This record gives sequence, C-alpha cells and structure tokens, in this order.
Amino acid sequence: MKVFINGKECEAKQGQTVLQAARDNGVYIPSLCYHPKTGPAGKCRVCVVEVEGMRGLQTSCTVPVKENMKITTNSETVRKAQRLVVDLLLSSGKHDCLACEQNGACELQDAAYMLGIEHPTFSLADTKTDIDDSAEFVYREHAKCIQCGRCIAGCNTTVVNEVLDFGMRGHDTKVICDIDLPMGKSSCVQCGECSQLCPTGSIIDKKTRGKGRHWQFKTVNTTCAYCGVGCQLTLHVDQAANKIVQVTGREVVPNDGMLCVKGRYAYEFPSSENRLKYPMIKKNGEHVRVSWEEALDYTASRIKEIVEKNGPDVFSAFGSGRITNENNYAIQKFTRAVVGTNNVDHCART
Amino acid sequence: MISEFLIKQIESVAGRYPHRGSALLPALDMVQRENGNSLTKEDIACVASLVGVSPSKAYGVASYYTMYNKEKVGKYHLQIDTNIPATLMGAGVILKHLEKKLHIKPGQTTADGLFTLDEVEDLGSCGTCPVMQVNDVYYENLTIEKVDEIIESLKKGIMPPRWDNSHFASQCNILLKNRADASCRMITQYQQKGGYKAFAKAQAMQPSEILELVKYAIVRGRGGAGFPAGMKWSFLPQNNKGPVYLICNADEGEPGTFKDRQIMEYDPHLLIEGILIAAKAIHAKKAFIYIRGEFRWISEILDKAISEAREAGFLSECDIIVHRGEGSYECGEETALIESLEGKRGCPRLKPPFPAVKGLYGCPTIVNNVETLACLPFVLEHGAEEFRKIGVVGNAGPKIFGVSGHVNNPGVYEYPLGTPLKKILEAAGGVKGNFKAVIVGGLSTPILTAKEAETLNMDYDACLKAGTMLGSGGIMVINDTVAIPPIALRTIEFYAHESCGQCTPCREGSVAIKTLIKGLIKGHGTKEDIDKILELCNTIMGTTLCPTGDAFSMPIRAMVQKFRAEFEALVR
Repeated sequence: MKVFINGKECEAKQGQTVLQAARDNGVYIPSLCYHPKTGPAGKCRVCVVEVEGMRGLQTSCTVPVKENMKITTNSETVRKAQRLVVDLLLSSGKHDCLACEQNGACELQDAAYMLGIEHPTFSLADTKTDIDDSAEFVYREHAKCIQCGRCIAGCNTTVVNEVLDFGMRGHDTKVICDIDLPMGKSSCVQCGECSQLCPTGSIIDKKTRGKGRHWQFKTVNTTCAYCGVGCQLTLHVDQAANKIVQVTGREVVPNDGMLCVKGRYAYEFPSSENRLKYPMIKKNGEHVRVSWEEALDYTASRIKEIVEKNGPDVFSAFGSGRITNENNYAIQKFTRAVVGTNNVDHCART
Repeated sequence: MISEFLIKQIESVAGRYPHRGSALLPALDMVQRENGNSLTKEDIACVASLVGVSPSKAYGVASYYTMYNKEKVGKYHLQIDTNIPATLMGAGVILKHLEKKLHIKPGQTTADGLFTLDEVEDLGSCGTCPVMQVNDVYYENLTIEKVDEIIESLKKGIMPPRWDNSHFASQCNILLKNRADASCRMITQYQQKGGYKAFAKAQAMQPSEILELVKYAIVRGRGGAGFPAGMKWSFLPQNNKGPVYLICNADEGEPGTFKDRQIMEYDPHLLIEGILIAAKAIHAKKAFIYIRGEFRWISEILDKAISEAREAGFLSECDIIVHRGEGSYECGEETALIESLEGKRGCPRLKPPFPAVKGLYGCPTIVNNVETLACLPFVLEHGAEEFRKIGVVGNAGPKIFGVSGHVNNPGVYEYPLGTPLKKILEAAGGVKGNFKAVIVGGLSTPILTAKEAETLNMDYDACLKAGTMLGSGGIMVINDTVAIPPIALRTIEFYAHESCGQCTPCREGSVAIKTLIKGLIKGHGTKEDIDKILELCNTIMGTTLCPTGDAFSMPIRAMVQKFRAEFEALVR
C-alpha cells in the first residue's frame, strides 16, 4: 500500500506499524522499547510521530499503517517530545558514554545523537550505584537502565525462563531477578537473551567488558558447534589477539537470536592449547601427526580387518551431540549399511 | 511460613476467579495478615508457587502496591494522610504532634515495637480530614485531643471504635437517600423502602431495551471522564460467544474524592441493584467490585450485602465478587484496574483495544464507576425522562459533590448536575476565610481562581468551558492563608509517588517537575526554572501512555500560570 512519510510517497505492507514502514523506507525514527522480537510496547514514548487525522502524538510502534496515511516524523512538535523523552532518560541515569561498554552500539546514544542532545537538562539520577556483578556471565548496572522492558519480555515470552520482571514502581522501578535476588543467586540460567535485547549498557556480557570497542571487532557469522540444533550466531573477533571476545545470536531461523549458556558464553575452546587440530596415530606408544590420507586409510583397513575376523558386532560407533544431524546420520548409515551392525550410540544419550 | 489452613483458604479464594492468577493480590494480603502485618521475600516466593506465577512476578506485585509491608511494622501502623485536602485541613499539625509524642519520624517504629508512623497518600477521606488509618480502621475528623485518646487506648491494647460525624445533605435524594439510615444496609430495610423494584423491572425487559433506556437517559460516567455509560456499553462486540465481564470501579483514589464510599457504606444494595441492572443489559454473568484496599470495612459491608442479595435469589444470573486493591492510585484507570484484577502490577494497557473489546482475561469488559451504576435504579424505576429532568439535558442526573479544604462544613452534597458551585459551597457552610482558589474535579483538574469560580456551574460542559473539568466532583477550597507553590509541590509529589513507572514522560517527568518546584521553594530556583516547569507540562501533555501525564501536567501548569507571581517571589 501507499503511505506518505514526511510528504514522500512510500511503500508499506498491510499489517505493518508506522515504525516498521518508516524503517523499511530508510526513515529513522528513534525508538527504544520496541524490538521486532518483543513487539510493540508503547512505553518509552521516543518513537512518537504525527499522523494526519489522529489527535495528538502517536507512538509509531503501535499504530498500524493505513492506505494513504500521512505521517510526519520530523516536525518541531515531534522533535520536542522526542527530545524531552531522551533528555529525561539521560537525566535519570548514569549514561557516561566514554566509559560505557556499549559505546557505539547503544540505541539511547543513537537517539541522543540524532536529536542533538549533548548534556542532560535535569539531574534526576540516584546517587548510589546499583551494580549486580553476582552472575557468572551477565553484568547488570541499574543506573544505565531505561525501563524499556525488553529484557523482561525476552525472559518471559521468548526464552520463557521467567526470571526477570519489574519491581518497585515510578522512578524507583527496576528490573528484578526472582524475589529481588542478585542474578547469581537467582534461578537464571545465563542464556544471555536479556543482554542481547538490552538497548543500552545496562545488561552486558561480563566476559566482553574491557576487551575492546564494538567497531574494532571483526564479525563472523557461523553455526554453533555445540549441538545439532544449528543455532546461528555471530562471532565477534579481536583479530590482533586472534580471539573470540563475544558471541551474539543471529535473529534468523532456527534460533531467532536465542542461544544457550554454552553457545553464547563458552567460546574459548577454538583457541584452547589442548584442542585437537590434526589427525594423529599412536606409533611406538606415542601420538604422531599424520596426513589425512594416512589416517583414513589406516582406520579403514583396521575396521575391515577386525570386522572380517570377529564379525560386525564387535564394532560400535559413537556419535556426538556436538556435531550436526547430517553427520550423525552418516555415522549410523555407515555403521548399519557398511559395517552391518546396529551398535550406534552417542554422548548425549543419558 | 504459610500454614496449611491458610493454603486451603488461598485455594478457595483462587477458585472464585475465572483465572487463578487473580488470587495473587488477595493471597499476599492473607499471608501478610497471618505473619504480623509484613511480608518476607520467602513468603512472597511461597505465594508465587501457590498461585502459580513466577517469583519475580509476585515480588513485582508485592513491591508495587503500598499496602504490602516489605519491612516489619509495629503492632499499630499509624498512617497519616497528608495529601492536599488533608494538608489544607491540618494534617501537618497532627503528624508533628505524633512525631513529638512517639519520638519517631515517618517511616520509623517505636523502640517497643508498638507503633509505626507513616505519611501516606490520599485515603479517600477528604471531607473528614485530618484522618489517620490505624491498621484497618479509619479515625476521621481528628484533633490533637482525639489523637491523644487513641494513642492512650492503643497503649492499653484497645482499638477505639471508629466514629462518623461527617456532614452530608441531599437535594436529589437519589444517591444519598439512605445516607442517614444505616439500617438500609440490611436487605429487608432496603426492600421495604422500595429497593430491588427497579431490578425486577429490568428482569422483565430485554437487555437491548435497558441499553436503549440508559443511552437515552445519558448517564455520564461519574468516575471523572463523563463518558455516557449507555454508549460505552454499545461498544461491546455483537454476537460475542464468550463471557462478558462487568467491573464496578470503586478505587476512589482521586484526591478530593470521597463520594463512592458514601454509597457503598450506607446504601450497598443500591450499588448491587445498579450492578445487576447493568449486568443484565450487557449479558454479564460475573461482576467485580474493585474497591481500594484501605476501605476494608466497606468491602466487608459489601460482602455482607452481596450474600444477602444472593440468599434473596437476586444473583441467580450474575454473581458479584468484591476484589480489594492494595494501594495504587493508578488502578483507578480502567485498564490498570483490569491488570490489577488479573493479579498484576497496576500498569495501564495500550489502547486500542479498549476494554469493551478486549478487557478482563481478554474478554469484552465494561468498567463503570460506583456512582454511575448507583444512578441506574432510578433510571429504571422512574424512566429516562425523569432522569433527564434533573439538571440539564446532556448533563443530567444527580451528582455527589465532595467538598473539602477551607469550608465550614466539609462533606458530601448531592445536587443535580449543573448546580452553581456557589450553592454547593453554601451548603458546605461557606468558605472559611478569604476565598482564594478552588480545584473542582479532583486533584488532576486545573485550579480556578476565586474570581473564575464565581459563576461556575457544576456540570461537565460548563467546567470544560471554564478551563477545568468536573472530574469526580471532588471540590477542594483554598483560602488566602495558603500559598500555591507548596500545594503544587505536594500535588506533584503525589503523582511522582503514584506513577506506575511504565512510560518515560510520566515516570521521569513527574520527578523533574518535583525537583524544580522543590528547588524554587528551597530558594535556589531561577526564573528559567519556572519556564522549564511550564515547558515540561506542555510537552508531557498528550505524550504519555495513559492519562496520568495529563493528570499532573494540567493542574501544575494551571497553578504556575495563574499564580506565577507566587512562584517568582521564591526566586532570590
């Protein structure tokens, strides 16, 4: 369908919100509480726009587009309201971009930059800092929280762990774990969904702190090697050190950004000293590096030899939860069709 | 720990609701009562597993509502209302006296563990201020002598009986017709005076006929918005197969308002009859009365009246459940109320969808105020024409005006809509001292100067024309002994305290305004700060998720604009 954004004719799809249509057409409307995964919340009030025929300002994340809708995203009324909201958020927390881990990857910073806010007008922040460093992988700093609720929506409706919720009310509203326990003492399983959804530096990955700026890392998209689900993830690599410093989930099938604690945080193994990097054969009591050809030939001949001598049931194949379904399929096929036994098992069976 | 007996009780409460999540608020209350009037984190986790919600959700709820004590309180919890009407009527003196007498500050407990003193927001007792709530009991029209008597008695372990010596009068004799006769709480007495005849009439009618009748009468919503009840009902989806719910909003939290309690406490069957008529019109098989938790004794009166009505066979087609709030102004907003009734934090929902389409448990729901529903028996019994004859057409029917602040006889006065303010103030014994200003529709409506109020008629349209709103009809009179800036500060403190915290302009904007006004009063404000306050009000208006942003930016703006000189005088 056709809509008009700031006087320009744009294409929009039935069922889209004004915000989605604007984004698709390259029009930036600052927004904080909206995330495609957690849906419209209408809470931060940053994404307000004017719509012809509708009274007052409208949150673009909640209003569906209509044929020939006339939308204004840059009038003075709109900008004034957006500036006030962002200003109030900056005023009510400890948003020091210089030291913040999320500098350069922060939606609040982007909004402030776009609206030209250099300094917060009011000083409404609580003087005490409220840091939760209790959990193994997730680091929380309440002073950087803007109460957008994305982490809570993610925890309760995306991963359905039901650990996070809002506690207290008004200016004192904060994200709590269980009965307001430190995250490390709560029932949280450290899946890190909250960290991935947080638009500011309030919930971050602990191990990545101080490892460098976001723009310095090379990103590599890959498939998680931990199990057969095939979660899609992005490795953030410090090239100079040749080390992975962060893993984030890609918002595509099958995982839509979600990862488990291993997939997201146990990423050191590729650079482990003990990692097996090439085939080896034990010769004279010692493992010796050999070529793939030699290794495969040796294995094939030994299997053949043993099976011919003792029958196929002396053979057993052991698959793994850490390889793909296709790999595991090939293993059982080989065992049944080539060797001729049903002795197939794998490490994740128990 | 939670006893086996209590677990059974919680189970039985949970069974009363279509969804057991609704039992969270009552269950937390029951556990608090059993465990010395406070809740531990462990108790909250226990309740969460009993009700079947996550621990964080239960803690989020427990920490949201003010009536849950997360810290230990004394045997007697003394709660002094210091909101605007109370401040105008001397609550400050009472509080100071108690601080001196008990040697504690608000928020503290005496060393012997007997008393905890707290300053609280509006208790819905504005005509009878100063008021102190001791545990579940209200002590109204307090004087220093009465406070001393209460404390002495409590020290002996005796809760003094509560008293009622409030002022009231009625010209219409519809809503307050039984105000002077407490025996009408009994169904026999109520019926003897002609009660439940209107319901009998409704029983013989088609739901659509009742709807048309109420629509024609134009019964505007008495909660504050003035939206016609019949029209609201007509927004219900046609051919709806699932349940429809009726909720009676008895949250009465708007400072200056104390009208609904008069109906519920003295004429509960009038409300029940109104509910049954509305339920019939909208096909509701279950109705809820959401009453603010502080009105505990009134909720018990309602419970008793409902069981009488049940025994009399009136509830055969629609059952009524009384559900107590736990301390949140925001829950007066209909979608926040629905959330609260579902056992959640009192955060308003996005509209659309409106409750008539998707309300309680996702079903079509109608939320009507107590006074609105209490008008219905008259409409049924005497006809819409008779109702329209009271007041002016479009602004028809009786209205209970609550008058508080600087008048000689603060209290409730039932007059037709459109009655001159002057006449109502005269009924309230006239203004005490020199009339300076008045807030006519509850604290969220713009203040009027005495001059502006001179010729004001008290109906929805006339108030709008005068630059304010009729709101709930809570009239607060201010004389010239009081300065406006401290009133503005106390007003914004209230809203900052009650903001649900969901959306930014309300959550942080209220605190920003509070900080600026406080700065001015403390003597380190500037003229620019005054403009900043106005700027904040202007921008917040219309930018928030629910009407609360408007509810504080409109009155604060009016106070600053109309009494700017008083704010400028604070700039050094």
